[in-house]
Amino acid sequence: MRKIFVLALLAVFAVTGFAAGAMADDVIKVGYLAALTGDWAAYGQTELNAAKLAVAEINAKGGVLGKQIQLFPYDFRTRPEDAVNAFRRMAENDKVVAVVGANGSGINIATAPLANRYKIPQIGTVSTNLLVTVNDQGELNPYMFRTCFTDPYQGQLIAAFTAKELKKNTAAVLYDVGSDYAQGLREFFMKYYEDYGGKVVADQGFRAGTDVDFRAQLTTIRDSKAEVLVLPNMGKEMALIMKQARELGMNDIIFVGGDGYGEFMWEIAGDAMENSYWINHVAPEDPAMADFFANYKKTYNDECKEFVNGILAYDSIYWLANAIERAGKVDSTAIKDALENTVNVQLHHAVMSIDPATHNPMNKTGVVLVAKDGRAQFFTRIQPE
Amino acid sequence: METLLQQVINGLSLGSVYALIAVGYSLVYSILLFSNFAHGGFLVIGGYICYYTLAAVGNNIWIASLLALLGAGVSAVLVERVAYKPIRERTNVTLYLLIASMGMSIVIENIFVVTVGGRFRALPPVIPTNPVNVFGLATTSAFDILSLMMAIFFLSGLQLFLSKTKWGLAIRAASYDLRTAGLMGVNVNQLISIVFFVAGLLAAVGGIFLSVRYTLYPQLGLITIKAFVAAVIGGLGSLPGAVVGSLILGLAEMLTAGFISSQMRDIVVFGMLVLTLLWRPTGLFGKHVAEKV
Repeated sequence: MRKIFVLALLAVFAVTGFAAGAMADDVIKVGYLAALTGDWAAYGQTELNAAKLAVAEINAKGGVLGKQIQLFPYDFRTRPEDAVNAFRRMAENDKVVAVVGANGSGINIATAPLANRYKIPQIGTVSTNLLVTVNDQGELNPYMFRTCFTDPYQGQLIAAFTAKELKKNTAAVLYDVGSDYAQGLREFFMKYYEDYGGKVVADQGFRAGTDVDFRAQLTTIRDSKAEVLVLPNMGKEMALIMKQARELGMNDIIFVGGDGYGEFMWEIAGDAMENSYWINHVAPEDPAMADFFANYKKTYNDECKEFVNGILAYDSIYWLANAIERAGKVDSTAIKDALENTVNVQLHHAVMSIDPATHNPMNKTGVVLVAKDGRAQFFTRIQPE
Repeated sequence: METLLQQVINGLSLGSVYALIAVGYSLVYSILLFSNFAHGGFLVIGGYICYYTLAAVGNNIWIASLLALLGAGVSAVLVERVAYKPIRERTNVTLYLLIASMGMSIVIENIFVVTVGGRFRALPPVIPTNPVNVFGLATTSAFDILSLMMAIFFLSGLQLFLSKTKWGLAIRAASYDLRTAGLMGVNVNQLISIVFFVAGLLAAVGGIFLSVRYTLYPQLGLITIKAFVAAVIGGLGSLPGAVVGSLILGLAEMLTAGFISSQMRDIVVFGMLVLTLLWRPTGLFGKHVAEKV
């Protein structure tokens, strides 16, 4: 099965390769790095489908600068070394002007030196780690970009939502001390929450993997009279925390978390999940995305289940098209400058502005999901400033 | 004051579950003089039997618990027959038994990883968890009260079994000297099987409560490390010691996490273990028997 798939993929490359040779000057060549096999195959296939949909839509409306976009997809098999090879081929054989993907920070950290060397801009879709766009010395990777917001930025969104939407001024944090993700979210939440006039009345930690009982911390939090409990962690512990909090009679405290939300949390926490809020990149019920989901289903005869990947891949293509339009010419460095100078560009899922110093999206709109009637539902959009 | 009471209640409820597990450790130790690290495996076996029976018979906790208790007891006997009996027949160096038990604990854990997968399972809400107010001073859940009652029920059952029955007498005799008990006509192999059955049964009780509260996964047995520490603090081989040690440990954990820092709790737990070993190596209730040559 897998062999047939690889052969089919090769055939597709061969055909697109010939087509490219025939009309070399009339097309804009864009590489797409997707995990079509391996652990992330489900995400990668959704991304590629969504990206193809965006390309088809743009081309149907006359393309960009009068030229059609042509996609060069490569499978990196969920392996950084394959991603590096694929990037080389895209740059040397296919001569792409930009690359979209991949959907993981580790992959983009591996391809960043290549993007800088070939001077080809690359846009990660769901690459949330800070080190994608800046290296570990804090220097900017000039050709690396991302569509998603970063992990710490989520902390700011949680603060904004708690202080401005919920209008609650006392909050407690219960976070995993062993996780960079949770530490980052907590740090930025605390910083911005104070700026927005809130007060963190309890700051408690635990260790994921060894701790399963949180009643001691929850008792302290209960005594602190916090109105909101912020949970910047991954799914399982958050579910246990919510369940144990309700068992301790903490019925009024509101739970707010980040994109660690998972459907399986309902199995553990049950009714304790109800009315909790979860910050995320996108929402399946977001009215602005309805057309995308309908088109996706019509084209591929399948639901877009990995919707975060689908939407971010789709809008990454639209963002790139917008940048090429603004650059006014099909040139990698000009496109990179245009991406860097993105200010208030309306995409489908958010309004995009890029911080030239870090290449991270600035003040990007996040989505708040509310857990209601046994599932997460779209609640509102949120933008900090 | 209210906070203190609340944390004490939290600590007792945690300690009561440790006690069920710690008693199993002590029971085996008192007879065979080694720490059975596969004990956590019996707990996991009990949890999974309970989970699958609940799914099969439509959330009847009584049938599920009964099968889980029996299943875990029988597997404990089987583990003893397969892994420990051949060793103890060949040598009386208990170190080999200890190593075999570590091996068995890894085997049991991985059997579950391979067959049912490493993903956690959430048991259906078969045990009520609604909050209960204690004299208007503190809040606990119905679940905690139930687990405390079950712990008391099973531990007093064990006490009765040991003090009133003929087999209980044999076990007590064997805990003084297994070989002499054998010479007095006690069927040693059968006795050891009974001890393992009882230990497995108690582990399953702990396993059911732990998996309802904290979900079920193959590594759930690791929580028995805390119960083992409790058994050592109380004095390995002593049943009252295991119970007291567990309650002390549960309280210490909750009070540390509540009043000092939650990150300190494991440092305190293992610090207590080190201090116990330094000052009272036999634990609070441990009996000191001079090594006979």
